[in-house]
Amino acid sequence: MTQFLQQLTNGVVLGATYGLIALGYTMVYGIIQLINFAHGDIFMLGAFGGLALYNVLPHGMQDQVLIALPLCTLAGIALSVAVAVVMERVAYRPLRNAPRLAPLITAIGVSAMIEEGTRLWYPGAKAPLTFPPLLPSGGFTVGGVRISYASLVVVIVAVVLMIALQAFVLRSRTGRAMRATAQDPDTAKLMGINTDRVIVITFILGAALAAVAGVLNGARLGTVQFNDGFVAGLKAFTAAVLGGIGNITGCVAGGFILGIVEVMAVQYLPNGSGYKDLWAFVVLILVLVFRPTGLFGEEVTVRA
Amino acid sequence: MSDFPGVLRDGRERLRARIEPRRRPLLVAAAAVTAVAALLPWSVPGVGYTNPLPGDLGSVGLGGHRLYVFVLALVCLVGLTNVAGRRRMATACALGALVISVIALYSLIKQGGGTGAAGVGAWVGTVGSLVLLAVTDTLPTGPPNRLPRLAAPAAVGAIVVVVGVLLAAVVIGLGIDDETQFLCFAIFVGALIAAAGALGVFAAFREAFDQYRAVGYAVALAAAVAFPFTQGTNATWDAVFARVGVFAAAAIGLNVVVGLAGLLDLGYIAFFGIGGYVSALLSDAVFTTVHVHVPFLVVFPLGAMVAGLIGVAFGAPTLRLRGDYLAIVTLGFGEIFRIVVQNWTGLTQGPNGISGIPDLRLPGFLGGMQFGKPHTVFGVSMPFQANYVFLDIVLVIFVMLVFARLNDSRIGRAWVAIREDELAARAMGINTIALKLLAFGIGATLAGAAGTINAHIGESVTPDDYQFIASALLLSAVVLGGMGTVPGAVLGAALLIGLPEKLRFVQDYRLFLFGLALVLLMRFRPEGLIVSRRRQREFHEGGSGADAMSQPAQVAPV
Repeated sequence: MTQFLQQLTNGVVLGATYGLIALGYTMVYGIIQLINFAHGDIFMLGAFGGLALYNVLPHGMQDQVLIALPLCTLAGIALSVAVAVVMERVAYRPLRNAPRLAPLITAIGVSAMIEEGTRLWYPGAKAPLTFPPLLPSGGFTVGGVRISYASLVVVIVAVVLMIALQAFVLRSRTGRAMRATAQDPDTAKLMGINTDRVIVITFILGAALAAVAGVLNGARLGTVQFNDGFVAGLKAFTAAVLGGIGNITGCVAGGFILGIVEVMAVQYLPNGSGYKDLWAFVVLILVLVFRPTGLFGEEVTVRA
Repeated sequence: MSDFPGVLRDGRERLRARIEPRRRPLLVAAAAVTAVAALLPWSVPGVGYTNPLPGDLGSVGLGGHRLYVFVLALVCLVGLTNVAGRRRMATACALGALVISVIALYSLIKQGGGTGAAGVGAWVGTVGSLVLLAVTDTLPTGPPNRLPRLAAPAAVGAIVVVVGVLLAAVVIGLGIDDETQFLCFAIFVGALIAAAGALGVFAAFREAFDQYRAVGYAVALAAAVAFPFTQGTNATWDAVFARVGVFAAAAIGLNVVVGLAGLLDLGYIAFFGIGGYVSALLSDAVFTTVHVHVPFLVVFPLGAMVAGLIGVAFGAPTLRLRGDYLAIVTLGFGEIFRIVVQNWTGLTQGPNGISGIPDLRLPGFLGGMQFGKPHTVFGVSMPFQANYVFLDIVLVIFVMLVFARLNDSRIGRAWVAIREDELAARAMGINTIALKLLAFGIGATLAGAAGTINAHIGESVTPDDYQFIASALLLSAVVLGGMGTVPGAVLGAALLIGLPEKLRFVQDYRLFLFGLALVLLMRFRPEGLIVSRRRQREFHEGGSGADAMSQPAQVAPV
């Protein structure tokens, strides 16, 4: 039982990361119906951006969690957002009215470029890099279940950001513009909404959340690699589909469910760790075949 | 940042306005200067400088890459005539000359030991071709040239000449050992091909080909068969072309799925892998878990069938999904295949894979064919790799026939209807689910068939051979060549597999460049290098002509 609860907490931590990445997928898909294949790589870039800043910080600051963590996160966000904006402007926007498969193929190309660009030009990135322990060490035990402070920070940050995003989309003026654009871009334009700007903002928000997830994930695991984004991105996409793509709360729930499923499968199935990455795909196929609208149906906030 | 393209455009317009009134004299002068510069010495070896480029570049003459610059500069003079398409011809050649000059200049400075290593020709040639490009940019735009319709003997002659010249270019190019020199040659050939296209050579070729299909295919076949003969005992390119052949066959299979039926399959390599593993397991390889040998004539259809059945089993529940969802699900399937193969150590030996797969034997065929032995045909002795090239040719012909027969049938038309508008197709009484499943199954079968041969060519199968990137590579072969066309898939496979083998220095950048190519291709030429006739017609009809690619209908997933 203790083991089960322990794995449950691990699953929640993992799911928080998936959920954060999945938000970017869900928002972009909700607005322009594009599966942004490169979103997983934006997540990876966030970790690399944080790492790059950490390496140039003075030694006194590197050890201060309260200083280093926010700074590195901001650096990660800056890099991810910059790349995402350029990507939207140069690769996706010209294809806005092209057939649906064209941007998807472009997205595969962008993904390859980001991964390979990182591998080729980030110093030392051809091998896995060590990520600094930016999160507080130590932890506490509740009823035999060990909870590290690091895990706690990851989950709290993720949940706060998710709530903030939800509030932004539902309450703010820009959020309303996003929902309007998602419902009907042409009408939104007629109502005086600058849809191009709204779409860029969507990409920026998604990239920023993914970057936070990247830095937190890197700090938790202690290592980053140029191709981390591929599998993470696919799992996050699964989470988004699981919750019903375009649905922000569903997407968060999907992330947690997927994280828990994966951790439990590794723990309780034979040769679980070898098949670790398999379950996300199995879940994805099952959901799409049996319930393509996601577990939470059509109750959606941002969708087309 | 958003203004940057605008600034560039303005600058170009101003430059054009300045050059336009003096176009003719400037064109003659720039072409003459560039051509003369090609003759002048490009390198200054000695006193600490070396000439890193092949050929004699130190004296007056046309050694090394200088011939290409010379020819391209002279072709630019077409801008003085009234030939339609002269703008494209001239700009392509000027751009080619400029790129070759810059590459040569860069190599001389970088590897030759400093700016002093570059001779007067290198500097003048670079500046001259830059001016040449600026001048040709002022030529008026217009439609490409149309060659007159050829009479029967001339048409057949044209087919032979075009195919022969292309084969010659490939053979000459492969014979160039130096990479920089090869790159220059490739750019030279590319510029000339673009120029010939603007002149209407390929349109005329296509017309002639349509008229004399049998002759056309016979000539193309002869060229393919002739290739190993040109290589003699040198096995390098036979080995590469053996791989190109199986990938081309798989790409044609993928073309059925993506190009005809419009289903984006991102896990296609899994079916190729299924065929490969079936073949490897039944070949009595050195390092394997199953020590049986099944004749290849049984394995070939078996591998194809297993792949096809798995494809149908997987496709049946998933093909109802909308286009982009289907793409992700197929991608998931590809990953599932790889992960299972990696972990099912009892059968597949996990990450080590199955290796030491013996060469093919076909006893009872032409006195027992041994693919592992060199052969001598018509007095030309060829390495054993050539045997696989010949086998690939048979395979590609088979796959092409399947593709062509399907494309021209009721089924092919139904696929195109589904691709263009699924809802309308269904309303017309097309059984969309069954036909999509058929496309998916046929694609999987063809990939499985190609995979069985690939296992013998590669001599081993490992899970790493079947990563997502391999699917993406096949997909880009199809997209690059032109969706829905057979020659396009073959061309795409040849370019994507063959070119990196020749340009070893791009090996490390291969995937990056490949990503960049996908992005640029979708942006500027989504129809690919060879445009399918059906799509071309769609283009000329106007309307939603921008839809060069499939437009999956907005059918909600049921």
